[in-house]
Amino acid sequence: MKAPPTLSAEDFEPAQHDIHVEQISRPSLSYWEDAWRRLKQNRRALISLYIIVALAAFTLIGPLLWRVDPSLQDLNQISQPPSMPKEATLVAPYKRWSGVTINDFPAYPDDYLDLIPAPIGLRPAMPPTTQAVRLVWDPVKGAGGYNVYRNTRRPETINDLGLPLGGTMAGNEVSFQDRLNLEQRTYYYSVISTDGYDESSTYTTIEVTPLLAMTRQDAISRGLIPEDSPLDIGDTLQIEFHPLGTDYLGRDMLARLMEGARVSLFIGICAPVLFVIFGILYGGFSGYFGGRLDQLLMRFADFVVALPFLLFMILFKIAFGIGPGESGILPMLIALVLLGWPATARLVRGQVLQIREQGYIQAARLLGAGNGYLVMRHIIPNTMGVILVTLTFAVPSAIFTEAFLSFIGMGVAPPTPSWGSMCNEGVKTMLSHPHELIFPAAFISITVLAFNLLGDGLTEALDSRMRSRE
Amino acid sequence: MRAFLAAGLLLLTLVCSAQDAVDFDSQSITIALAQEPPQLNSMKATDQVSVLVLGHVMEGLTRYDRRGNIIPGVAEKWELTDEVATFWLRKDALWSDGVPVTAHDFVFAWRNALDPKTASEYSFILYPIRNAEAINKGELPATELGVTAIDDHTLRVDLERPTGYFVKLTAFTTYYPVRQDFFETQGELYASEWDAMVYNGPFKITEWVHSASLRMMKNPAYWDKDKIILNVIDAEYITSDTRAKLNLFVDDKISYTVLDGETYKDALRQRLRIRSFTTGSVFYMSFNHREGRLTSNANLRKAIRSVFDPEEFVNKVLATPGNLPGRSTFPVWLKGVEGRFRDEYPPPVFDVDVNQGRRYLAKAREELGVDKIPSLVLLVGDSPTAAKQAEYMQGLLKSKLGLDIKIDTQTFKQRLAKMTSGDFDMVNAGWGPDFDDVMTFGDLFATWNLNNRGRYSNPEYDRQVRIAMNSSYPKTRMDAMGQLQRILLEDAGVLPQYEQGVIYLLHPKLRGVTRRVVGTDPDYTYARVIE
Repeated sequence: MKAPPTLSAEDFEPAQHDIHVEQISRPSLSYWEDAWRRLKQNRRALISLYIIVALAAFTLIGPLLWRVDPSLQDLNQISQPPSMPKEATLVAPYKRWSGVTINDFPAYPDDYLDLIPAPIGLRPAMPPTTQAVRLVWDPVKGAGGYNVYRNTRRPETINDLGLPLGGTMAGNEVSFQDRLNLEQRTYYYSVISTDGYDESSTYTTIEVTPLLAMTRQDAISRGLIPEDSPLDIGDTLQIEFHPLGTDYLGRDMLARLMEGARVSLFIGICAPVLFVIFGILYGGFSGYFGGRLDQLLMRFADFVVALPFLLFMILFKIAFGIGPGESGILPMLIALVLLGWPATARLVRGQVLQIREQGYIQAARLLGAGNGYLVMRHIIPNTMGVILVTLTFAVPSAIFTEAFLSFIGMGVAPPTPSWGSMCNEGVKTMLSHPHELIFPAAFISITVLAFNLLGDGLTEALDSRMRSRE
Repeated sequence: MRAFLAAGLLLLTLVCSAQDAVDFDSQSITIALAQEPPQLNSMKATDQVSVLVLGHVMEGLTRYDRRGNIIPGVAEKWELTDEVATFWLRKDALWSDGVPVTAHDFVFAWRNALDPKTASEYSFILYPIRNAEAINKGELPATELGVTAIDDHTLRVDLERPTGYFVKLTAFTTYYPVRQDFFETQGELYASEWDAMVYNGPFKITEWVHSASLRMMKNPAYWDKDKIILNVIDAEYITSDTRAKLNLFVDDKISYTVLDGETYKDALRQRLRIRSFTTGSVFYMSFNHREGRLTSNANLRKAIRSVFDPEEFVNKVLATPGNLPGRSTFPVWLKGVEGRFRDEYPPPVFDVDVNQGRRYLAKAREELGVDKIPSLVLLVGDSPTAAKQAEYMQGLLKSKLGLDIKIDTQTFKQRLAKMTSGDFDMVNAGWGPDFDDVMTFGDLFATWNLNNRGRYSNPEYDRQVRIAMNSSYPKTRMDAMGQLQRILLEDAGVLPQYEQGVIYLLHPKLRGVTRRVVGTDPDYTYARVIE
């Protein structure tokens, strides 16, 4: 049995009034803090945000770290896929070669044979370099010329000799020089005798691997070695490194992507920000005042929606006196802003129409709040969610528009790249050098996806009504 | 009877449809034409396909051999002086219906081609004949044309001015004979069907299903038929789609097809033997010499020339085989006095020298009175390769000379309009030969030539063109051409870039097909199928 508690007089004293009884133990969350908290829970949106930050860094800080001129052509390294740094050998400046002609051998055959033997003794006339590959061979009887082919794999049949480089037009001209886009790789050169017109059905093949070569003067002018460098012919030096490869004129892909990002993101961010601001003002004004003014303003917005974008883009280009070969970025921006705002304006107007009838607005009005205060303090902040979402969705569409316009040649003027124009160039060599298309296309896709996912995340995070669904 | 024939023909067609690209036993080949021949009336034909077909079924006074030399055709021999060309026709030259080819047939054809009512686009090629231009303009009756049939087998041509290359012109399509009596029985329908024309060439058309196929067979009436080995040239397909043609070639259905920048990679992958051929056309960058244009300054042009390397351009920028570096506005294949023109009159060589270029540029700035040369407009076509070439030039001139270039990309028509109005500083242009003589390139930059889009004008150049035009003595003509080549290039009036090449596929068992820079190309006349 338990003893009953003993009560004392103090127990019957009235309790002290304590104001801290109902204490909020956690810090109060503002709208933005709450939105940020919920955005952080959305992993997709967060990753997208990081990607966008990374893109901004790539665009703004990238060119400071990767100091390569995006329009500098490096014809020693055309359409190179991403690769490790390469070394070149210094060679003497290129000198014209008159070739080898054997004077005591007949230039044209006396009679036409159906089968002329293949030339023998096919050999390089000097160590092969990417500057030039020079081949010589011994003349054969009955030949009225020779044709030279080049392939990147060992020919299996006579139909597999590869590119017809050219040839000689006489039986005693027994040399050939190849300078056609040589790279440091193995080539199989084949020589066929001809009777002056037709090729024989036999051929000789030789395997040649030209050394990546550069002249001293070229190296100095490219800034690879100083003027007084001790390097001499035969020495090797490190040549320009292109981590993402090069394009069809040997321009550095990484530098071009950074430069292109500037154009793409400039249009992609500037245009939406400008037209969203305008749309907010227009739609807010229209919705807040309502009535006939609203009707009038909204019909005008409908009219703007009906205007064709491409036509206006071209008209602006002419109106601005943008001549051929000049950048069409400014008219593109203006056309985007002038024709892009109605969507935002409509959305904001709808929101404002709804909000202005809310009880708290009526209350504020009764308390004597002016129009300006109501709009700034109550209405705009409540439409912020819609606005930000519109903005994030407008960004990818603007990037796409820029890419499309540059793709059809209405945007940037060469040599300035943009992702869209880089795709346009890359698509031409899609089969042989896919990296020229894949990189800019990937950047466009990733950027657009990141902005879209962030927009999705923001919709959820900024909509205060979604809060209760957690 | 007719129904029976038609049935037989149908059967024949069916049998032939199964045909391979080449057949040794019947010595027949199958080819594809790029389009239906639009005009087989030799007096009016201008396009390549018509010229190709006509080149096989007709023959002029002369013709080209496989090396591109002029050899006797209908004419057995000839004699050319400054005023008169006389041709002696062979007696065994027959039309496909057995009627002899006579000098009257040439007189009729040439008069008819020049008749303003015929409205032949190529009538200007007959202008070396006396009064031809006046007749073509309707100022004189056609009977005034300086061509006479002295008898059935002697043709006398009075020339307007000495024309050293007149004999070469007689191999051209517009110079082919047409038989008056046959032409008049056909009237408007002449050359509209296979049986609405008579043939005097090595082949004759025996079947022509419009827009579908065209078949040529060896002409038994041809005087030199023993030299012709092929029996049948069957143009069984009419398409210009290079990919479709590549597929037909792979399936062994056609024996020849050209490749373009896209299809050649497929052909390489499919291990087909690719051949190349230089088309004979020259491509160059024309400077605008009109008054007030910066490019009218010679030192600026020379500065640009000093940094431009045609070899690099051909090997790295064009990067397809078959193109030759541009060293002159005269292509390498042109004939000179005895050998090749370019061997006899080598163009001046300008080596790439950036420092020299900068010195020229400094001089140009001084002469123009500017601190920095304002940006120049480079007008180009809208093809992918044109854009690449233009960007290369832009990068080159920026990095080597600090010149800013704006690229003006235009469609063919727009570009032509801008070239004509002079709305450019530099333009990438090209020129293909009309006939096999240096003159087809020689007068291109004369002050009066409307194809001289940059309006290059140099009295010394013009003087040399006149010397060459008014002489028929080869040495004099070639010397003048050599001079004007030197003048134009030393003046940097234009910047030669490349001589164009094409790549194509040819059936490995087909031999003797000739590629030509002028006229019928490809020429199957002396082709044969080997076993």
